[in-house]
Amino acid sequence: MSEQNTTVLPKGVVQKEFDQAIEKFRALLGEENVLVKADQLVPYNKIMMPVKNAAHAPSAALTATTVEQIQGVVKICNEHRIPIWTISTGRNFGYGTAAPVARGQVILDLKKMNKIINIDPVMCTALVEPGVTYGQLYDYIQEHQLPLMLSFSAPSAIAGPVGNTMDRGVGYTPYGEHFMMQCGMEVVMANGAVYRTGMGGVEGSNTWQIFKWGYGPTLDGMFTQANYGITTKMGFWLMPKPPVYKPFEVIFENEEDIVEIVDLLRPLRMSGTIPNSVVIANILWEASSGNVRRSAYTSEPGHTPDRILKKIQEDTGMGAWNLYAALYGTQEQVDVNWKIVSDVFKKHGKGRIVTQEEAGDTQPFKYRAELMSGVPNLQEFGLYNWRGGGGSMWFAPVSEARGSECRKQAALAKRILHQYGLDYVGEFIVAPRDMHHVIDVLYDRTNDEETSRADACFNELLDEFEKQGYAVYRVNTRFQERVAQSYGPVKRDVEHAIKRALDPNNILAPGRSGIDLDTYKKA
Amino acid sequence: MSVNRRFVLKGMALSSMAGLTMGSWVGALSGTTARPIANAAGRPILALINEGAAESVFLDGAMAASSSRLQVQRAGRDLGFMLNFERQLRSGPPLRVIGLLDDASAALMVDMARSAGARVQWLGQHTAEAGFTRHHLLTTDIAAGCSRQFSRQLHACGAGFSLDEEHHGGPLVPRQLTGSARRGNQSAQWAASIGYLLASLGAHPALTTPWAPTAGKPVTGSFVSFSIEV
Repeated sequence: MSEQNTTVLPKGVVQKEFDQAIEKFRALLGEENVLVKADQLVPYNKIMMPVKNAAHAPSAALTATTVEQIQGVVKICNEHRIPIWTISTGRNFGYGTAAPVARGQVILDLKKMNKIINIDPVMCTALVEPGVTYGQLYDYIQEHQLPLMLSFSAPSAIAGPVGNTMDRGVGYTPYGEHFMMQCGMEVVMANGAVYRTGMGGVEGSNTWQIFKWGYGPTLDGMFTQANYGITTKMGFWLMPKPPVYKPFEVIFENEEDIVEIVDLLRPLRMSGTIPNSVVIANILWEASSGNVRRSAYTSEPGHTPDRILKKIQEDTGMGAWNLYAALYGTQEQVDVNWKIVSDVFKKHGKGRIVTQEEAGDTQPFKYRAELMSGVPNLQEFGLYNWRGGGGSMWFAPVSEARGSECRKQAALAKRILHQYGLDYVGEFIVAPRDMHHVIDVLYDRTNDEETSRADACFNELLDEFEKQGYAVYRVNTRFQERVAQSYGPVKRDVEHAIKRALDPNNILAPGRSGIDLDTYKKA
Repeated sequence: MSVNRRFVLKGMALSSMAGLTMGSWVGALSGTTARPIANAAGRPILALINEGAAESVFLDGAMAASSSRLQVQRAGRDLGFMLNFERQLRSGPPLRVIGLLDDASAALMVDMARSAGARVQWLGQHTAEAGFTRHHLLTTDIAAGCSRQFSRQLHACGAGFSLDEEHHGGPLVPRQLTGSARRGNQSAQWAASIGYLLASLGAHPALTTPWAPTAGKPVTGSFVSFSIEV
């Protein structure tokens, strides 16, 4: 019988070296900010991926409060070759949550760096530290009665703009493409230098949160979904709160309707008539976020049959597809746009329009309307109760905003998921030209057989979508190396050349998006 | 009957169980209502529940770990509850919070524990189907021996079971225990065992969990158990 590891250490680091580093971290940060006990680390190790927790167990977690401390942390990491996995709020549910990409990495938790440095209600900009949550920002805006609106993803109040934007997450308002609204970053590099992007390097500049591009190469994007630096401040734009807001839903009865929905919607999105990130949720997404559980309909293993999906539709009044959008502006603007939009759907004839007045406080309309107007809630976590068992992986391929393409992707995903006995729980988040096709692969982690099946299913989803020229825009930490392969060898060579130049000791989140000097081309 | 009225009645039914009090845990912590029970390690214990039939069995087990009064709170999944929970963990008095909740609530609770700087000694994922239960535990030193005790109790429940235990910092391969179904009545005693073990973490619990009077019938579904300490 082979020996088992009985402690968690970073890969390639011996206990003595690790202990020396920990002592230095304690001297730098204070005892209470260096977490090494098992019960302190378990909260960082709740994962939803189809692998044992041990595969993503951290060896320690550090909390820092200043840029200088972070500079000190990277210095120690360089001295002892300690890999660190940085989180801001760690609320990347379904993408790995707070756990590191590889067992043994030390988590650098920036939750205590939670200052709202500035909100300018005139220029509608914000500058925040990584630990700031959307909830803090919401409270600040409410307290100061600022005429501003936030955009966030479904975990809303408990997540934060830095983490979400750095992972290129999206929200549901007209400012829903968060990286597009980012303006200016401060980044601690692996050598300890502090780099400010855009106008941030100009002494005395007051345009850091105003003008994105600065001078010469614009590098902000290089730090997103990457491991080239630790973001310690980020600026972004805030939407002026409109005087009138009109959310609405259009319910479609049949799966095949997706083609017409998307083709009707695209011109409205491109023209800006509908300005926000529209959602088209399928019946199971809609039902589970409306607190419906699978167990109420069946206890049979495998995927949920279409006849049950129809029954849920009949029982709840939900559609096979449920479109949520909103209009923003003055009363005159909203009235004009509402006429255009409602005429389009009335003329088409298949969709049933539901307004806020008609929906009242019913879910899921209520939470969708709140998210589209920057009001936080946690309603969408109901997805985790659809099947139960604690397994969840987002499969998020990008699609053209073309009806036939969306139908093709939805059908392909559903076929593969059903083949593995799992459900298609999906939504499209609609930009003018692209769709984030987001599918929650839900499974039971207490069932080893089902967990293996979910793992195989996710691999097949990646493989089969890739054969059709599709790839995901974001993925959980278990599959980041695999997805990096989808984007081709030249991109990977460039990424690793940058990594060698900026972080030669490979201390910053090795393995993030498949970028790892220790493993790339060394297998 | 309105949803609110159903909740009140349900709460009253729970409160009538021997020794239990339902109420605001904020109030409990500030001393305006009955204090949570103290476990052997000296911390008061608060039990969070929200999952129908399983909750009373779980509470039976938790109560059996102590003859004192147990503070019980029905967990919400709304933002206000979660933020309040985090706030209390961050700035409230020393406390152990145990619970048996639905997946969504528990995912949020454990994450709130992390951001509040709390410690988690036990994190269990449980699936109960007719004739079989499955359990995945992520534990720490204070729960040493609990999985063996738990497996004995699962065996007594009559249904088949599988139990995986990962110990943070322990072997890469989890400890696996299984049992086949036995003839006779099957019960939800497993939920009582979890309540009992969690309420007595760090205290040396008896080898056998007292039989829960509410555990006669099997309970099905998906649940998450935890012990959080500040």
